[in-house]
Amino acid sequence: MTNDQLQHAIDLLRPSGDSRLLTHLNSCVHCGLCAESCLFYLATGDERLTPARKADLVSSIYRRYHSVTGKLLPWLVGARELNSESIDEMVELLFGSCTLCGRCTMHCSIGVDVTFLVQTGRKMLSEMGLVPATLQATVQAAVETGNNMAIPVEDYRDTLQWMEEELTDEVGDPEARIPLDKPGRKILYTLNPREPKFFPLSISAMAKIFYAAGESWTLSTRMYDVTNYAYFSGNDGEAALIADRLWSEMKNLQAEQLVLAECGHGTRAFRWESPNYLERSFPFPVMSSVEYIAGCIREGRIRLDPEKIRERVTLHDPCNLVRNGGVVREQRYILQSFVPDFVEMTPSGIDNHCCGGGGGMLSMSEYNEWRMKAGSVKAEQIRRTGASIVVTPCHNCVDQLIQINAFYKLGVRILTMAEIVADALIIEHETRIAKQSRAPLK
Amino acid sequence: MVVLALGISLCVSLVHFVRIVNAGIPRDLAPAAGEVSPAVRYSFTGAMSPTKKESAYLHLPTYATGIIFHLGTFLSFFLFVWIWIGLPLPGIPLVLVTGFLTLSVACGLSMLGKRILERKLRLLSNPDDYLSNMLVDLFQATLVLSLWISAMKPFCFLTMALLLLYFPVGKLKHALYFFAARYQLGWFFGRRGVWPP
Repeated sequence: MTNDQLQHAIDLLRPSGDSRLLTHLNSCVHCGLCAESCLFYLATGDERLTPARKADLVSSIYRRYHSVTGKLLPWLVGARELNSESIDEMVELLFGSCTLCGRCTMHCSIGVDVTFLVQTGRKMLSEMGLVPATLQATVQAAVETGNNMAIPVEDYRDTLQWMEEELTDEVGDPEARIPLDKPGRKILYTLNPREPKFFPLSISAMAKIFYAAGESWTLSTRMYDVTNYAYFSGNDGEAALIADRLWSEMKNLQAEQLVLAECGHGTRAFRWESPNYLERSFPFPVMSSVEYIAGCIREGRIRLDPEKIRERVTLHDPCNLVRNGGVVREQRYILQSFVPDFVEMTPSGIDNHCCGGGGGMLSMSEYNEWRMKAGSVKAEQIRRTGASIVVTPCHNCVDQLIQINAFYKLGVRILTMAEIVADALIIEHETRIAKQSRAPLK
Repeated sequence: MVVLALGISLCVSLVHFVRIVNAGIPRDLAPAAGEVSPAVRYSFTGAMSPTKKESAYLHLPTYATGIIFHLGTFLSFFLFVWIWIGLPLPGIPLVLVTGFLTLSVACGLSMLGKRILERKLRLLSNPDDYLSNMLVDLFQATLVLSLWISAMKPFCFLTMALLLLYFPVGKLKHALYFFAARYQLGWFFGRRGVWPP
C-alpha cells in the first residue's frame, strides 16, 4: 500500500458534499445499546462485534486526522491512527462481520447511521486495495464479463432456451416465449446471474407470470445482471460502471420500464444508489419484480389459486429491499391474496433480522464460519413460525437460507416470490389472448 | 468565569452548528418513494419510543436511567440560571428538585459504573466517555449541594465553567449532533418510504 492510497483513504473521512458524514461521525455516545440489534453479536456474544464498535473504528480515525481534539489529545477521545492494526480490524469487522442490514441504524438510541459509516469504512479499504479478494473477484467478473458469475453468452442463451421449453410445457402453449433482445418492449427484465447458473426455474417462473399477464417484455443478452457487488466492495467507480450498463441497455432496447429481479442489494444499488453514482435522474420508471407482481394481482391481470398452496408459509424480508428500500407491503399483499396459512416471523418487516448472507458475505468464503453462525438468528426465527415454506424475494437470501436450512436442519423449502406465485397461477388462455389484444406487444 | 466559559462554549458550538447547516441536507437523485416531513416527525417521536426502539425496549432500566439523567441535566442548567440571577427557591419545590436531582446523579453514577464494569462498554469507551459523564454528575451534584449550602456555590460555578468549556470538544456535543442525526434518519427512511411505518 502506498502513502498516497493511505492519504486518499483518510481524505474520504473529510466531511464534504453534505452534512451526512459529518453528522454521523460525531454522534455516537458509545452507549452500546445497539449490540442486540446486530445478528453477529446476537449469534456470537463477541463484544467486538457491536455496531458501535464498527462505527467507532471509522469515527476514531476521523477524529485523529480531522478533529482538533483528536489531533491535539488523541488519547482523550480515542482517536486512532490509520495503521496496520486498525486496518486489519477494519477488514475483519467491516467486511467480515457486517451485512449492512441497517437494523442497528434504525434502532440506534441517537440515530447514528452505522451502515453508512461501515460503508464509508469499506470505501476507505477499497481505496487502499484491501477489499477481500473473493468479493473483489465477484466485482471483477461483473466488470469484465458483464455478469458477476462470468456466464458465457452461449451458456446463457442455452439456459433460456431450455427454460422456454419448460415454459411452453408448463402453460401448454407452444407459442409461449422468453423474449431475448427484443427492442421496443414495454419492460426490460433483469436477472440475478445465480438464476441462469443455479436456479433457472425461477426464470421460467417469472416468464410464466409475464405470460399470464400478457406482458410485453424482454430479457437482454448484453446486460441482464441486476447485482452490483461494487456497492458492497465500496468502489463507487466500479458501481457506476456496472449501473451505467443497465441504463445503456434500457436505451439500446428502447424499453419503457425496468423491472428488477428478486435481488435485495441489486434493487437497492440500482433503484436507490445508481442515480447518485451516475449523477443523473432516471428517465424511465424502475420497480422491483415484487411490486410488479403485486400490481398484476391488484389490476386483475393474473389470478392465483388459493387451493394450491396448502402448507404454512412464512416470509423473510430482505434488508436491502425492505428496511433500506421501502418495499414492505407488496410481498405481504401477494402472499395474503392466495396463501391461506401465511405467518409472519417475529420480528418482521422493517424490523426483520438479516439472514446473514447480505453485504457481500455470500461471496466472501473466508468468513463462511461467521456467516453460518450469524444465520442461527434467522434459523431460530424460521423454526418458531412452524412454517414449511419460506418465501423471500431475494436470490442472495435464497442462497443463504438454503445453507441455513441444511446447516440447522430446518426441513423447510425456500422459494422466491415468483416461484410460489407461478405455482399457484391460473393460466387462462382466452383471457390472456384478450389481454394481449388490449395491450398489444410492440 | 462562567460568562467567559459560556462565551467560548457558544462560539465553538456555533462552529459545529454552522458546519452542519452549511454542509446541507444530503442530495439524492433517486426518486423518492415517500415523504420526508412525516418521517422526520416520526424520527423524533414514535421511533424514539420504547414501544418501537429496540435499544429502548430491550434495555428499559438503562433507558429509564438515561431519560432521568438527561432530564436532570436540563433541569440543572435551568436551575443554575435561576440561582445565578438570584431568584429564590421556596420550600416544596426545593425539596422536589433536590429529590429529582439526587436521583439523576444516582442515575448518572450508575451509568458510569456500568461503563466501568461491563466489558462490552469498556471496549467501546475512551477517557472522554468517562470524563463527560463525571463532569455532568459533578455539575448536578454541586448544584444540589449549593441549593442547601451556600459555600458550595463557587464549586458549582467552577464545574459549570468546566462543563461549558468541555461541551463542544468531547462527546457532550452529541447534544448538537443528535438533532442532525435524527433529522437525517427521518430524511433517509422517509424518502425510501420506510418511515413512518
